[in-house]
Amino acid sequence: MSLGLFFALTGAALAAATSGLGSARGVGIAGQAAAGSCTDNPDLFSKVLILQLLPGTQGIYGLLIAFICLSQIGLLGGSADPNMSLSTGLLYLAACVPVIIVEPISAINQGRTSVASIAMVTKKQETFGKSMIFPAMVETYAILALLISILAIFGVARL
Amino acid sequence: MSVVPMKRISVAAMKRDRKAVLEYLQVLGAVQISIRGKEDDIFTKTDMSKSQQVFLKNSEKAEDALAVLKRFAPEKAGLLSGFEGRKQLSVEEFDTWAKKSMKTLRLCGEILDTEKEYADYVSRIPKLEDQKKALEPWMKFDLPLDTDGTKTCAVFIGSLQGSYTVETFYTQLKKLSNVETFHGDIISSDATQTCIFLVCEKKDQAAVREALRRMNFATPPVSDMNPAGRVKEIEQEIELTHKQIDQAAEKIRSYAGSREDIRFVSDYYTVRAEKYGVISQLLQSRRVFFLEGFIPEASALAVKQGLESRFDAAVEIKEVGKKEKPPVLLKNNGYSSPLEGVTESYSLPGKKEIDPTFLSSLFYYILFGIMLSDAGYGILLFLGTGILLLKLGKKMEPGMRKTMRMFFFCGIATTFWGFMFGSFFGDAVDVIGKTFLGKGEDFGLKPLWFAPLDEPMRMLTFCFIIALIHMFVGLGAKAYMQIRAKKYLDMVYDVVLWYVLLISCVVFLLTVPTMAEMLSVNTLSSSLQKPMMILMVISAVGIILTGGRESKNWVKRILKGLYALYGISGWLSDILSYSRLLALGLATGVIAQVFNSMGSMGGNSIPGVIMFIVVFLVGNVLNMAINALGAYVHTNRLTYVEFFGKFYDGGGKKFRPFAANTKYFKFKEEM
Repeated sequence: MSLGLFFALTGAALAAATSGLGSARGVGIAGQAAAGSCTDNPDLFSKVLILQLLPGTQGIYGLLIAFICLSQIGLLGGSADPNMSLSTGLLYLAACVPVIIVEPISAINQGRTSVASIAMVTKKQETFGKSMIFPAMVETYAILALLISILAIFGVARL
Repeated sequence: MSVVPMKRISVAAMKRDRKAVLEYLQVLGAVQISIRGKEDDIFTKTDMSKSQQVFLKNSEKAEDALAVLKRFAPEKAGLLSGFEGRKQLSVEEFDTWAKKSMKTLRLCGEILDTEKEYADYVSRIPKLEDQKKALEPWMKFDLPLDTDGTKTCAVFIGSLQGSYTVETFYTQLKKLSNVETFHGDIISSDATQTCIFLVCEKKDQAAVREALRRMNFATPPVSDMNPAGRVKEIEQEIELTHKQIDQAAEKIRSYAGSREDIRFVSDYYTVRAEKYGVISQLLQSRRVFFLEGFIPEASALAVKQGLESRFDAAVEIKEVGKKEKPPVLLKNNGYSSPLEGVTESYSLPGKKEIDPTFLSSLFYYILFGIMLSDAGYGILLFLGTGILLLKLGKKMEPGMRKTMRMFFFCGIATTFWGFMFGSFFGDAVDVIGKTFLGKGEDFGLKPLWFAPLDEPMRMLTFCFIIALIHMFVGLGAKAYMQIRAKKYLDMVYDVVLWYVLLISCVVFLLTVPTMAEMLSVNTLSSSLQKPMMILMVISAVGIILTGGRESKNWVKRILKGLYALYGISGWLSDILSYSRLLALGLATGVIAQVFNSMGSMGGNSIPGVIMFIVVFLVGNVLNMAINALGAYVHTNRLTYVEFFGKFYDGGGKKFRPFAANTKYFKFKEEM
């Protein structure tokens, strides 16, 4: 067996792992702020819950890339080629790099922004619509990284 | 489909009608009080904040009583009752309840007092339990614990730290006190303390006490009964307290029938407090009061006639002053009005702006649909909200109803795009067919258009096309507002030049074969390249020359113009931002696929089917919740940042009429 499959799998696994890690942190820190906000004002629960969940999407994007990668290299359907060339494997790994790096960082920063937005909603309930936008801005870069990874994986698969 | 035009209304009426006039206006809920006049020798303001405070306190008292009732006698709430709105109250009901209000308020006082009693009793129990526990080591002792001796003997009753036997106790005491004649009994002993009874001669009392002190002697809880009798007494007391607790709780529960009365009282005093808040603002002379405010044009005449026919009042309807900013009320058709809340969350239209709700509604549902893009979830969404709307639509509060209607339309759009892209609970049809029905490879739901997962670049191109249309409409709205303000030249500089620049850029890019191939569209003829280049240069130069036209200094002006042209990078990033349509759409479909394939791992057997059903239900519900949230957030973002950013600033204040802002009942009359 060549190392190609190993590197391709490493890419998929890291994509899911680092994104999940980042989202866990992001949702975690936002959740602490949300819980604090709810103690004084339980009516805010649904609003701060939404804000808490915003950094959770990066984990999903990582999962998405991992899944697409696994299905392209055939590990899901059992049709994986154990003799995948080293270069193809490394190409898959490279395709996953944007997600591996950008998702965790953006998730943690989005979590911090969510904390600030939760503080904003706690002080003024009617600012909910605006407060949702600040964390959503951070997510843009997570989406761009996801996009490049998707296109790259499909590109590698077609080689 | 726009901002409701406002008028100014001024009312002068007799002071004796003050209460009736205000109540009439409050029930109508059509006028926002805004008094511009200043106090002078004749007209002054009366401070009513004290009465207002009293009313607010009464309302709070009723709320507290309701909270107590909720704790002791929770109401059985129907599954859907959360969606129901406030009950409409007729005039007769209002009057009978209003007459009872003082009585109900006293009732609230009783409830709160009883609850205090209840809390007292409850806190007594642990204290009694503690006392009982402290007596436990003394149960074998048959003298009262406050026995202190006879004429010649001194008695010590108490506990020593640590564990002693009779022998160790005797030796220790003799050593410490040098007293030989005494008698001691150990009543009970455990690892931490030893309870003793000690008799000695009165002359030795001081020495023994000192010795005991050094052995950490502590006196027991004192009572004039022997311990067993005292414990019995405490037990009786505990039993009695339990009974009192039950009685108090029962008493509170007996008030549950008056819950509606109390709710009314809470509303009643809130409404009165609001009314008194308005009275404080009124300008009043000895016999006349004066009131001003904003009123929607449509109801102005009816209110004027209503007031003049009922009271001795002079009502004047005027145009809003040029420098004033009237409050904003939006009115839209049934398709767009659910999104008024979205507009309001951003900011209501400023004075010269149009209401963007209708324009955003043209895209909002579509964008949401592309992001969630699953027919199964869409059907659930529109069926769920549709059934709620049918069953409870009339009873719902307007805000709740709008939200429901918004998700109803979003559900329809999601279903549409779901079928277009061939997603129904992910690939549920294929998986069920292959795993359980033994169908072949080509079985499955075919997309009506194409599957984004198979052709991501085609989907991306589609996203960019939507992006261009969406933002061009936004830019068009800007042109419309400038035409309305008769700023035709500005319209050419800010809108037309950009249209030309952007369209020529896009067409030029499409003539480049590699670009067209990447976007999987047909390459345009290269003969278009030259005219497009010319258009690009002309419009770019135009933007450089006019982008900074507010500066008189030409150097500054050109620099600002260059910066304006740099705005094209903003357009590029805005267009790329729509790639979230692809990313979120794929996320929904792929995660549903993950769950479906996980569920089908059990194979075609009975446990396999059960496993599939469980995983399918849990997984898809989770996926739908997370992705509907994502779709909602990102549709808002595209609307706020990319779309509103092109033409809309906002800054309007919401129309807040003087009305009965109640919690449980509706006092408003339909006009």
